[in-house]
Amino acid sequence: MLNWKAILRFLGVPLIAEGCAMLLSLIPALHFSDGTALSVLVTGCFTLCCGALLVVLFDKSSVTDRRTPFVMVVLLWIVLALFGSIPFLVLVPELGFADAFFESMSGLTSTGATIFPQVESLPASLLFWRSVMQWVGGFGIILLVLAITPSLGINKYSLYTAEASGADNTGKTATSMGATIRRMLWVYLLLTTFFVVAFLLSGMQFWDAVNLVFANISSGGFSIYNDSAASLTSAQQYLLALTMFCSGINFALVYSFFTLKWKRLKGKLEQFSFYLFLCVSVSLFSSCVLHFRMGDSWSEALQCGVLQSISMLTTTGSLAADTTLWWTPLAFLFVLLSLCGGMAGSTTGGLKIMRVMILMRNVRTTLSDRLHPHAVNPVRLNGKPVSEDLVKNVMVTTFVYFAVLFFSVMVLMLCGINATESIGATVGCITGYGPGLGLSGGFGSYMGFTVSAKFVCSFVMLMGRLECLTVLILFSRAFWKDFGLR
Amino acid sequence: MLKVGHIAQMAPLRLYARILGIVFLVLAGAMLPPLLVSLVSLDGTWRAMFASFLLFVLLGYLLRNVLGSQADYDVQGRNSFWITAMVWIVVPLVASIPYLLTGVARGFTDAAFESFSGFTTTGSSVISTPEQLPAGLLLWRSITQWIGGLGFMLIVVVAFRKLKVGSRHLYDAEFSGAMQPKLHPRLAESVNRMLRVYVLMTALMTVLLLLSGNGLLNSFCLSFSTISTGGFMTSSNGLTSMSGMTLFVVAFFMLFSGMNMALLYNILTFRWRAVRGDEFKYYLLVFGISVVVATVALVAAGNGAESFCYSFFHLASTVSTCGFFINRPEHWSFLVSGITFVLMIVGACSGSTGSGLKLKRVMIGVRYVRNYFSKIMHPNAVFSVVVDGERIPLAYIKKVFAFIFLYLCFFAGGAFLLTLGGENIPDAVCFAVSNMGNIGPSPMMNNLGMTIDYAMLSDFSKWTLVVLMLAGRIEIFALLALVSPSYYRLKRELNFR
Repeated sequence: MLNWKAILRFLGVPLIAEGCAMLLSLIPALHFSDGTALSVLVTGCFTLCCGALLVVLFDKSSVTDRRTPFVMVVLLWIVLALFGSIPFLVLVPELGFADAFFESMSGLTSTGATIFPQVESLPASLLFWRSVMQWVGGFGIILLVLAITPSLGINKYSLYTAEASGADNTGKTATSMGATIRRMLWVYLLLTTFFVVAFLLSGMQFWDAVNLVFANISSGGFSIYNDSAASLTSAQQYLLALTMFCSGINFALVYSFFTLKWKRLKGKLEQFSFYLFLCVSVSLFSSCVLHFRMGDSWSEALQCGVLQSISMLTTTGSLAADTTLWWTPLAFLFVLLSLCGGMAGSTTGGLKIMRVMILMRNVRTTLSDRLHPHAVNPVRLNGKPVSEDLVKNVMVTTFVYFAVLFFSVMVLMLCGINATESIGATVGCITGYGPGLGLSGGFGSYMGFTVSAKFVCSFVMLMGRLECLTVLILFSRAFWKDFGLR
Repeated sequence: MLKVGHIAQMAPLRLYARILGIVFLVLAGAMLPPLLVSLVSLDGTWRAMFASFLLFVLLGYLLRNVLGSQADYDVQGRNSFWITAMVWIVVPLVASIPYLLTGVARGFTDAAFESFSGFTTTGSSVISTPEQLPAGLLLWRSITQWIGGLGFMLIVVVAFRKLKVGSRHLYDAEFSGAMQPKLHPRLAESVNRMLRVYVLMTALMTVLLLLSGNGLLNSFCLSFSTISTGGFMTSSNGLTSMSGMTLFVVAFFMLFSGMNMALLYNILTFRWRAVRGDEFKYYLLVFGISVVVATVALVAAGNGAESFCYSFFHLASTVSTCGFFINRPEHWSFLVSGITFVLMIVGACSGSTGSGLKLKRVMIGVRYVRNYFSKIMHPNAVFSVVVDGERIPLAYIKKVFAFIFLYLCFFAGGAFLLTLGGENIPDAVCFAVSNMGNIGPSPMMNNLGMTIDYAMLSDFSKWTLVVLMLAGRIEIFALLALVSPSYYRLKRELNFR
């Protein structure tokens, strides 16, 4: 049976953290004195108290069964999103629950899809809460893939863990998990501070800089301005592109880089070069298109092209221009690229570059198998054969990912959303890019969606963020059925 | 680098010529009924038809008896892919001649598009008003689908019945391995039975259509289109003007033609006990559920009880990758087009004339995912994917996943090229999915209110669609083998690698 006590206790600590994060919004509320301080204080304290209550009420109990951790992870995201939606409900009274939940889930999964057509009219505290949620969500996903899912047995096959702490691959002990979490937190904090300072030096206000970096280092994409990143200066736009680029790099790689452990860089070099290659080539391509096709000047085209391409590849969703108005093939290419995503172990969504590489090589292997049926021809990464288990994991994840993708397009259409919007919204939500196509694309919002469609989108975001398997296993018979073997 | 001597070693050109020749002779034979029809109907197209007939005979004779006279029958892995790809590219190109000579196509691109669409059983048409086509050509269009539904390699296998080595390779190449129906342990017998099923089904349908009051030509055209899951229609507004009885017959035969041939053989020979199988179950289940969901959604949206009939017809047309549609009096809501979208990707059963991912592959994928979950819950247990009581080896499952990935890549790439060709995004996605799945003029587009007039597309888009149709029909790998570097290395080098 499920260990509910352990689950509730587990939910307590993150809730306390969320409450504290909410209370952080008191600072802008007081500073800008927008009259929301009291509401923020109450909601923050409420969340905090709920968390504390859970921690006090339920003792620590060890989890021995295999189901509980899965339920924990999925519930964690849902509960945090539920509590995260309270500030929206309180501060913007005309908002429905579906809207608030959508926005909250979008923040927590660092998707960046918004239902607010005019964000500038929101109170400062709420804007800050959106940014903070993304920042927390971005770190949450790193924790999840580097520390939590490996212990669940989903990604234990050295997908992310191997290079995080050097040579160890599977079977991480509790101490090394704690160490991993600490290291990643340092990297995350360091990157955030670095870019905030960099933006300050480029002449940005502190308020703008913090919000911008919070939303972009987590590859989220919420903005405090209606026109997203379009009104930034050119230097700031390049800096923003760099921020997003960093959010797409494997954090273990960044850690090895900062701690000068160069040798460890080798293990991920092939993926990193592929990532770099994608970023550069797509940026150049879109700049060329912007220049030759849409008549922008070279400097403008380059600036816009680089920012937009990297925003797409890292599934961030910050916009330098309304991409829905761009040349159709370019807009469509961006949709496809966001499915690819950044490197594994980063804050980005999408399939992740490592998976795409393994899949492509698996196809090559299949082709040459027909010529040489008896040859042993494993899929290789960095020149080393990839373990069979990892290949299986990648195949299953991809299959499920696309199944969910197509299925949710269907469900959205059944909810009454037209074809363009359904395709755009599904890709935007499952990859964590955010904006879709049509009305929900560009500087638009998801406001026009029906209530059911908003819930579907929220669920798709959750699926995409937790890489489908973690959520989907809860719906499988194997999960709930006892085979008589424990 | 490649030298001329190497080419001869890699690709036995005489064999290629011989195979092509045989296919052309078969085409010449297939040209006879349309020729007869145009002679009888006195619409002045008989000259063009006769010229095409002569061309096929001449080409066939030249290739088979002159160039390919001393062919060396060694069809190994590489060659089987190449032969399949070559036949599928060359034959439809040449077979576009009748469209050009009669002047119904506006240019080579249009003619080739129509021809490829026919042979790949897609059914997308650049002819906006088929009712104005000369009768002979109308028949020829349907016959190309009928031949394409069988597959060229089947023709080759029949022609090379004495060939001991390699025909299995060829047969596999067209169906990407183990997806073909196994009617009999012996390939020749298996192919024979398949042919019989195919002919019998066509005959049965034609008779039923005649009985329900359709004209002779119309019945033949419609049954050729249905049994091959092609989808060329004889009227510009789909099957809207057909009688209810006709639609009923068509709907059921569409469902049947989306099934595995082996299963159909068992049905037609009254071996009821053998009519089962996991894929068959899934097929009916998927179809049933989608009809129910579609009907409920439509009724909930304020439509009447006729929603069921429309859903039934349109979804049968989609699961079988046939592609017939009925125009709605008023605009049908797009609710159902989401369902057709997913069904178009999934496609029909393996070993049928339909295309798409094939239900069997999806089924294997789903079962593997299920096992994967079980494995997470019970890490020390051993699970295997079982289909029809047989364990599927891991190597095969990997191939299935590789195929699914490739299919999606082609789909995405094709849609991107279509946007380059000037289509907007939903149209591009729609066109890509329906042409790659060989559905053609899908009910989805009809429901979305899209024009299904392919004549409006740019030439670039048309050729993109041609590639997608081919990729969908010969299941990508054969096409990919043409551009894969490993297929251009010589055997000798490989042995010492």
